[in-house]
Amino acid sequence: MAENHLKTAKQQDTDWLSPTDALTHFLPLAAEVNTADLATHAEAVFGFRVGSLGFLVTSSTYCEVIEQLQVNPLPNVEAWFSGLINLRGDLVPVIDLQLLLGEASTDRKKRQLFAIGQGDKAMAFWIDGLPEIQHIFTQSLKQLPPLPSILQRCVSGGYFQNDQLWFNVQFDELFKTLGRQYTAEETAS
Amino acid sequence: MIQQSNNSETLEELELGLHLLREFKTSQNKTHDNGIFIEPPATESSVEDYIDAFKNLANQAALNECYSDLYDACLLIEDVLRQLSPDEFAVARVNLFSSLNDWSLSSSEIIECAEVDNETATTHQDSALPLTLITDYITTIEQLAELVNKEGYSGLYSLNLLIIDTLHELSQSTIAVTTDLPSLLDNWCRECNAYRQNSLDAIDNIISILRHPDLNLPFDEDDFTTFNTLLVEEIGSQDNVEQAVDTVFDNTPDELDTLTTVADDDNDIAEPLSAMAQELVELLDTEAGLINYRFLAISFDEPVDSRKEHLQLASEELDRLTNAATMVGFAGLAATCTQVNANIALYLQHIDSFRLTNHELLIQWISEVKAYLLAFSKNGAGKQLLAQMSNPNWIQRLTPEASANLLPLMQVKGLNDESAETDSRETVATDANISLALPDDVNKELLDLLLQELPVYMQQFSEAIQRLQSGNGSSKDIDVAQRIAHTIKGSANTVGIKGIAVLTHQIEDILMACAKARKQPNAALMNTLINASDCLEAMCESLLGLGEPPNDARETLQEVLDWANEIAKNGIQDTPDFIKPTTSSANTTVAQHREPDSSQSPKETTTEPTESAQVAMVRVPTNQIENLFKLSSESIILNGQIYERQRRLKNQLQAMEAQFTLLQQLGAELEQLIDLKDLSGRSLVNTGKDFDALEMDQYNELHTASRRMVEASVDAREISVDMKKELDTMNEVLEYQQRLVINTQEAVMQTRFVPVGSISLRLQRGLRQTCRLTGKQGELKLTGEELLIDGDTLSALVEPLMHLLRNAIDHGLEPEEERVAVGKPLVGQIAIEFDREGNSILVRCRDDGRGLDFPAIRQTAQQNGHFKVGEAITEDELKQLILRPNFSTRSQSTQTSGRGVGMDVVNFQVLSLGGSLSLHSVWGQGLTVELRIPLPLSRSHALLANAGPYKVAISSKGLTQILYSGAGDIKIISNEQVLIIGDDIYPVVKLEDLLRVNDRRKEERYHGAILLVQNADKITAVLVDAITDSREVVIKSLGYYMRKIHGFVGATILGDGSITPVLDIPELLRAPRPAKTSHTAIEEETQYFSSLQTILVVDDSLSQRRALEQILTDAGFRVHTARDGIEAVEWLAHSKPLVVVTDLEMPRMNGLELASHIRTQERLKTLPIIMITSRSTEKHRLMADEAGIDFYLVKPVQDDNLLTKIQSLIDKQHSTVEA
Repeated sequence: MAENHLKTAKQQDTDWLSPTDALTHFLPLAAEVNTADLATHAEAVFGFRVGSLGFLVTSSTYCEVIEQLQVNPLPNVEAWFSGLINLRGDLVPVIDLQLLLGEASTDRKKRQLFAIGQGDKAMAFWIDGLPEIQHIFTQSLKQLPPLPSILQRCVSGGYFQNDQLWFNVQFDELFKTLGRQYTAEETAS
Repeated sequence: MIQQSNNSETLEELELGLHLLREFKTSQNKTHDNGIFIEPPATESSVEDYIDAFKNLANQAALNECYSDLYDACLLIEDVLRQLSPDEFAVARVNLFSSLNDWSLSSSEIIECAEVDNETATTHQDSALPLTLITDYITTIEQLAELVNKEGYSGLYSLNLLIIDTLHELSQSTIAVTTDLPSLLDNWCRECNAYRQNSLDAIDNIISILRHPDLNLPFDEDDFTTFNTLLVEEIGSQDNVEQAVDTVFDNTPDELDTLTTVADDDNDIAEPLSAMAQELVELLDTEAGLINYRFLAISFDEPVDSRKEHLQLASEELDRLTNAATMVGFAGLAATCTQVNANIALYLQHIDSFRLTNHELLIQWISEVKAYLLAFSKNGAGKQLLAQMSNPNWIQRLTPEASANLLPLMQVKGLNDESAETDSRETVATDANISLALPDDVNKELLDLLLQELPVYMQQFSEAIQRLQSGNGSSKDIDVAQRIAHTIKGSANTVGIKGIAVLTHQIEDILMACAKARKQPNAALMNTLINASDCLEAMCESLLGLGEPPNDARETLQEVLDWANEIAKNGIQDTPDFIKPTTSSANTTVAQHREPDSSQSPKETTTEPTESAQVAMVRVPTNQIENLFKLSSESIILNGQIYERQRRLKNQLQAMEAQFTLLQQLGAELEQLIDLKDLSGRSLVNTGKDFDALEMDQYNELHTASRRMVEASVDAREISVDMKKELDTMNEVLEYQQRLVINTQEAVMQTRFVPVGSISLRLQRGLRQTCRLTGKQGELKLTGEELLIDGDTLSALVEPLMHLLRNAIDHGLEPEEERVAVGKPLVGQIAIEFDREGNSILVRCRDDGRGLDFPAIRQTAQQNGHFKVGEAITEDELKQLILRPNFSTRSQSTQTSGRGVGMDVVNFQVLSLGGSLSLHSVWGQGLTVELRIPLPLSRSHALLANAGPYKVAISSKGLTQILYSGAGDIKIISNEQVLIIGDDIYPVVKLEDLLRVNDRRKEERYHGAILLVQNADKITAVLVDAITDSREVVIKSLGYYMRKIHGFVGATILGDGSITPVLDIPELLRAPRPAKTSHTAIEEETQYFSSLQTILVVDDSLSQRRALEQILTDAGFRVHTARDGIEAVEWLAHSKPLVVVTDLEMPRMNGLELASHIRTQERLKTLPIIMITSRSTEKHRLMADEAGIDFYLVKPVQDDNLLTKIQSLIDKQHSTVEA
């Protein structure tokens, strides 16, 4: 089939297609698109789990797993704002995505801290397990499942694979929303 | 034989005579025209004719005693001619003819003559002829050499000299000259002329002539190649000296011109225009274009006043064109301009008589002028222009006689460059003259130096100008300003920034004239100088990347040029108000800088900046400073950690010391016990007589060991004491290091500090602009300008201060007549004082207007339903009301203020800066607005405390006193806890409650400390469990995303590495209730303002966007910008601005398409749109009209004009909504 496609592609440069070729012309192409789509995703994606949800982050994004750092809690802040860590001289806010998204928080002792971004733009999450390279071969979901409002604007696509929902999240947008949300909602009593 | 010898002698005498004649002619040519002219006889004329000719020549020579040589020569020749036989005469005739021809012919004809001679020589083969011929050629080539040298062909000049030398040698040698030589030399002259016409072919011919064996030049092939290269390069570089050649042509004697291609008399343009002349004509054309623009701006749809204004502007431009035309030498054009201006003056007197036909006539006229400028040198140039001016529709038309007189003046054959050079005052400001563009090959070092010097110079310059303007100035200030203008001009010229160089050059001229005449500039000139100073300041800011180039640069330069030309023409006049050449009838806005302190002599104030100017400066990128700052903060934190470790070590040492003491005691006890045992043992066991009882212990091992242990414990204690001393020393070192790192951080911080005075010029500009718009007069006085504060805070202060200024003028100051009636000075006094108060900056804006109108505020509040009629309300409560959004007592919305954006917006801005605002008003005397803005904290002294499970640092912000428990009585009055200390009663609040930390303890806790904290006007007692420590902490931000958390200044890293928040207690006290409400309120306010006040600016040019943004922001609007129509449409999908200001030409979607799109949207279709473009044609205007543009403004747009247009659109919008 691929050979046939190559041939037609070659012919395309030089001659008009034969009627048969013209009729079958788009079939192989459609299959190709699928592979191309997954190829781009398979190329560079890290996946990490927070509770029941999976999140994807491109490998070009600066991120690191942090171990053995004390999280310093703050008074008078939202419950999802776990506190601050001292990451090489920068104060990095730690967010509990599970609480933020309305799930019950799991035991933090079993969790890892995962920071995205560098310097003063870094933000950290509690994650379950370690991030893994993910190869997404399925097509993106046509319709996203109902998401917590805070995630709605930041999720650009979703995939369902290995019984796990994975979301492509625009983290910069999420952090900005959190910053705004924070000042807007302010503290919970 | 005798006959022969006689014959030979006669011929020799003739030769001598002719030689003398030529020599005389040559020497005369070099100096001046000798005024002698004869008609030479034809070559075939008889000897008598020749004798007559020479007689004639001799007679003319006899008239001048300087010509005695000529006279002698003529007599000699005459004598010889009488003795010649017909044959001899026939031989000599050609030579005679040639000699006489010298007196009537030009150089080219000399060559022709030489050719005739040559022919004769060939025919007659006479040995006497070549010598004369060579001399003739030498003369010709000498002239040629001189010419090419003048033209800058130095290579060709050298070659000509070479030929001349060779010819001299030949003339002296006995070698017979071959017959080829004359034609060779003729070719030489011809090729040289061809070369001068930039013909490359001529080079080969020149070289081949040089190779000719007759010349016998001692050169080899290499030399000829070198000559060739030299000539080729020379031709290439000649483009650069074309202008010089033109000048030479003008001044070259006629006979030299004949060596060049003879100009055809029938040609329209005798010689090409020089670059300078071309530029002057272009200048006239530009000016004509401006007039055309002014004429086109006249619309009969607009009111009479507007027509009159445009006509007035056109008349002024016409004056400029007249001046420029006179200067450049277009006397005819200047006369027609005067004529047209006389017509305009009549129209202005009777504006009603100015009809459409008159308007068309003006437009026709200016297009004729433009056509004339394209062909001013042609025969019949200006005929059509004059014909147009004879049109009977002109009120004052040109009479046929006048036209006939003007016609010769219209045809300008040559432009007198010299006069233009000597009097090259510019008259029209062009875009090139205000350009701040850096040349491509800019010298970076020079530019850096200029950028360092400029702010210092500008400060001194504007101070000098403002002193002059305030009336406190002296001639010294004129000198200072002139000197600075001169220095800036020089530097700007060196770097190549034309905009600054041209403006300072003109300012320098004006100031120099003032200094020379020993007169101070009058009020009108002073206004221009102030504007020029503002403009220079803005240019300087723009170069430093702190702002956009000034919009009014061209107008300002034009104003300055007009003054400079006026002064150059008429000098400084005695009358205090000599006619101002511009019309801008701007109100005189008085702006004044801080008066020098009484303790400080004026001399000191002027010399101070000069000293600071001498300090070497370095420009460093901001991020590098930030990095340094971060590193210094890390050092402080690290130092704190070491300090902490050291403290723990000391505590452990103390514990160890206690242990050693204990050990020592135990040792002593043990020793005692052993002693007792020994004693008892001795009583029980007799050990013999050999030892004394006291010596027994020497043999007791137990005793020895206990003794040693006691000694060791004493030693250990000694060591621990030494260690403690060491630790104390280490403590001192650490403390010293801490001070050092703190100093380092402060030094780094100071690099970000700027003097408050750096915004004073912007404030003064803002004041002047508002004065112009409101028609009121105000004087701004600033104090505390020397105060240094953080640059970011200062920038953030500009906007609220601008608001306050606008409010003070618009709402505060009474109209002039009212001020006069109550005995106030005509000019409103506004003062802005800057002061430092702790870690805050205190700004007081005071005006001497009418103050707050409390009855009006009360009435408005009642109308708006803020309280019921008859309800008691204090003035303090009313003051709080005007700080609420959209509260304005003004019934009519004005551009400057009164849009409901007054104190409320200032208050909002101040609150968002973490500051506070308070109002102090006395009716009839004025209002003082006091702003207190906290400076950013990077380090603070903090108290460490516990709040429930959290460890917190309490910053010293607002902290007035720390009391320990029991310092006062805590009682409950009307269900509220209060602290009573003496006569003072303070409300009480617990830190845990402020932080909403759950208190699980049921019993009332014991509070170890009470903090008295000032918040706005009130002091609150904050109860804290215990203060565990007090120290200097470094405040760090919570990152880019979590910038501001309510109640926290930031967080700090403690010595043990843990992070603790640094609390802002006053902020927590301001919003003690669930913050949600207050923040939602602020959010609502933000949304309210942003939706109501935003103006959308759409332009693809970044500089234009920024410039508009600044103008509109300074005028109190919020601005959203978009790069093109698409971006604008995307934003408009969810927002609705007040007005859209758009450019015409933009990528993706242009302004017309954007306007059409907006008009099709139901929600947006009434949105006012202003288009700002450089397209001024009717076609574009028409297209804009069709697209639904409300106002079409052509660049450059005056700020005031734009703001007025925006205001009128807003008013229109409001009236439509109300209707």
